[in-house]
Amino acid sequence: MKSAFYALMLVLLLVGISQVQAQQSRSLIPDRTLDIVQDSGYLNVGMYKDFPPYSYEVNGEVRGVDADLGRRIAEGLGVEFRPYWIIPDESLGDDLRNHIWKGHYLAKTRIADIMMRVPYDSTFKYMRDSTGEMINEQVVFFGPYQQERWQIAFDKSRLDGVETVAVFQYHPIGVEIDTLPATYLTSAFGGRLRNQVHHYGNVGEAFQAMEQEEVAGVMGMRAEIEHQLAAHTGNGFTKAGNGFPGMTKQVWDLGLAVRHTHRALGYAIAAIVDGMVRSGEMAELYANHGLSYSRPGYYDEILGPDKNGE
Amino acid sequence: MRSNPFGKQFAASALALAVSLGAHAVTDEDILNDHNTVDDIVSYGMGVQGQRFSPMDALNTDNVRYLQPAWAFSFGGEKQRGQESQPLIKDGVMYVTASYSRAYAIDARTGEEIWQYDARLPDGIMPCCDVVNRGGALYDDLFIFGTLDAKLVALNKDTGKVVWIKKVADYQAGYSMTAAPLIVKGKLITGVSGGEFGIVGKVEARDPNTGDLLWMRPTVEGHMGYVYKDGKEIENGISGGEAGKTWPGDMWKTGGAATWLGGTYDPDTDSLFFGTGNPAPWNSHLRPGDNLFSSSRVAIDPDDGSIKWHFQTTPNDGWDYDGVNELISFDYEENGKTVKAAATADRNGFFYVLNRENGDFIRGFPFVDKITWAKGLNEDGSPIYNTENGRPGNPANADGEKGETVVAFPAFLGGKNWMPMAYSQDTGLFYVPSNEWSMDIWNEPVSYKKGAAYLGAGFTIKPANDEFIGVLRAVDPKTGEEVWRYNNPAPLWGGVLATAGNLVFTGTPEGYLKAFDAKTGEELYKFNTGTGVVGTPVTWEMDGDQYVSISTGWGGAVPLWGGEVARVVKDFNQGGTVWTFKLPSDRVAAN
Repeated sequence: MKSAFYALMLVLLLVGISQVQAQQSRSLIPDRTLDIVQDSGYLNVGMYKDFPPYSYEVNGEVRGVDADLGRRIAEGLGVEFRPYWIIPDESLGDDLRNHIWKGHYLAKTRIADIMMRVPYDSTFKYMRDSTGEMINEQVVFFGPYQQERWQIAFDKSRLDGVETVAVFQYHPIGVEIDTLPATYLTSAFGGRLRNQVHHYGNVGEAFQAMEQEEVAGVMGMRAEIEHQLAAHTGNGFTKAGNGFPGMTKQVWDLGLAVRHTHRALGYAIAAIVDGMVRSGEMAELYANHGLSYSRPGYYDEILGPDKNGE
Repeated sequence: MRSNPFGKQFAASALALAVSLGAHAVTDEDILNDHNTVDDIVSYGMGVQGQRFSPMDALNTDNVRYLQPAWAFSFGGEKQRGQESQPLIKDGVMYVTASYSRAYAIDARTGEEIWQYDARLPDGIMPCCDVVNRGGALYDDLFIFGTLDAKLVALNKDTGKVVWIKKVADYQAGYSMTAAPLIVKGKLITGVSGGEFGIVGKVEARDPNTGDLLWMRPTVEGHMGYVYKDGKEIENGISGGEAGKTWPGDMWKTGGAATWLGGTYDPDTDSLFFGTGNPAPWNSHLRPGDNLFSSSRVAIDPDDGSIKWHFQTTPNDGWDYDGVNELISFDYEENGKTVKAAATADRNGFFYVLNRENGDFIRGFPFVDKITWAKGLNEDGSPIYNTENGRPGNPANADGEKGETVVAFPAFLGGKNWMPMAYSQDTGLFYVPSNEWSMDIWNEPVSYKKGAAYLGAGFTIKPANDEFIGVLRAVDPKTGEEVWRYNNPAPLWGGVLATAGNLVFTGTPEGYLKAFDAKTGEELYKFNTGTGVVGTPVTWEMDGDQYVSISTGWGGAVPLWGGEVARVVKDFNQGGTVWTFKLPSDRVAAN
């Protein structure tokens, strides 16, 4: 069991477990409301572990754009920033359950106050399960701060360019296993690229493979690709400008999440994040990490089209 | 030893002490004879073939109603969850594992603890399906078991002190270890758990005294197997000959096929039988081909790990029908000839009888009420797929829309899951703990994983009937006939034991240990243990009395993955106790 088949399947979990949860009067997770967070003097910032350039550690130092944003949020609340590392489960629903609203059954008192890099998507937010129950009623999504997208990098010594993904019918391309790029490249165009797809544990490993000339390109999230390009300068790797025909989700917004009983904490943090997006501080934060920044689509209706958008 | 009187005396008294403490070593012979001996249980399966049949008949259909609790031992701790372990018994001591990778030695006469060992688990473990352990192995003076962080721990069976600990695989890569190890010809044989994406299943043999590797056999086509001599790793052939025959691209490198339920051994053919899990990725449309050796039974040479034969139950699995379920060796007479067969009740709802000498398909039939993914089996045992809405669609073709829902029987938790069935040499029937449920699967275009857009399937499990989910079945392997059935409201998730007393024992999530007439299915005994039972019962003889033991404690995959089954099981309380029952000696002849 335990297969990635269960990915995305929070439906069942939430039907199953939240009903059971509703039966349990004793919740073991600490109830850290805004007041309690401020009194305690620290904020547990939930971030994915080993996930450059978003959140990672180098020699014990916590780095990444999500970590820096977490620091700014903690600063804004007047408390200490404390990293809370999240090992990703098979889907976002699992991560929210394990680290925001319920706790993992192996560590029932370990919980993050907020979680970074949570997709901000109204369709997902209001999704219902097969019985009509809201699957995310335990969680509040707020504070969209960035828009992410897919990106290919390629080896100029092997490819003249990547006008379309069709070149990867003839040249090998690396992807992180069990991701949308993996699914896309192995199934698009009737599977014609399938045999050229090489699977790696993460985008960093795929870039190492490109250095070893195992692959001629790598597909991942734009920030991951830009981060690796910076780490592999001088190898003749560069960004491609191709589209992704047939790709269902080309761009998506990222924000934060808190437990539904901690809305006030969410409001206070949303104000900090919103200020940073509007003032340009957020774009600056990304620029400091050498990353492109796209403003969340959420702001298009509020502020008009993103001038720095692609 | 020098011959001085004091030394001799000391040696003799030390020996006497050792004998009185029951500190006998467990030998290969003990293990190979386990199915015949009644005073010990020194293997998972009550014999290496895994029949779970006891020749004892003191306890029988006439007197089972007098079975009474002798003692109950609590695993303690604040943490309970699923207790799926099978106890072992040697020289009046019970050896049993519990959730969270704990192990115990208990005085089998009194229920007093002799020692307890708690594995120190790292913070980062992410087991998919509860924190269970299914049991340990006894060999020489060692008790050996696997832990959730994919290590093997060998303890001195008399003291509980650590003799060695070996890392089998990286828990951070998704590996784990929950099955009971197997001892064959002086080797410690194990598989690995972890259906996390990107692992590759393997079967390994080690030196039980040191934990050092002797051979390793990957269960995915294209990976090299090895034998180890004098610290050197020697290539021993690629599983399946070469990569890419039944997998596209490089997907064989991360093909899955975890061997997470362990295996059985058949001395007649000198073969290990291991089942393998589902292939990765979960979306079958991305990996056209049979995807060997996923969802298969594999016969392996215990001397060097070579694959002798394989039988695949669900080629190109698209339903998460793991092929890990145990393959049990048994002989039967047909046309005056003895057939050396082996049987397995697969997740996919079909019961298979194979020739265990070469893996040939003898016959197969459904053992559940309804199967929709396949219309039947071909002459060679391969499935006749239901091509109309039988296979879940490819979410990559969903165009951002929620795809058509495919309803599949059985659900991915299977017609039968991990819980071991039993075979009675008296009745010639298999006693199969099974479940009647379906799953809805649909494409879920709006989904995310680790901060990124993702494409997957949503699914939910539904009971097939209102009145019952679990069914304990007596199945005739020669005809496919269901001789009797017992319907249980909650899903059955515990193992089965058959005895020469014409009895069949199993536990239920409602908390009962139950006994049935092996020929008629009549329920003859029930005792409520106070928590759901997902363990496997055993029986043995001590001081002339017949005992029955079972680990109790509700958990396992059902409360985690059960979907709409939750309404049936949500009020069951957790626990963690070994219950031991005995038949009072004055009741043996009772009528």
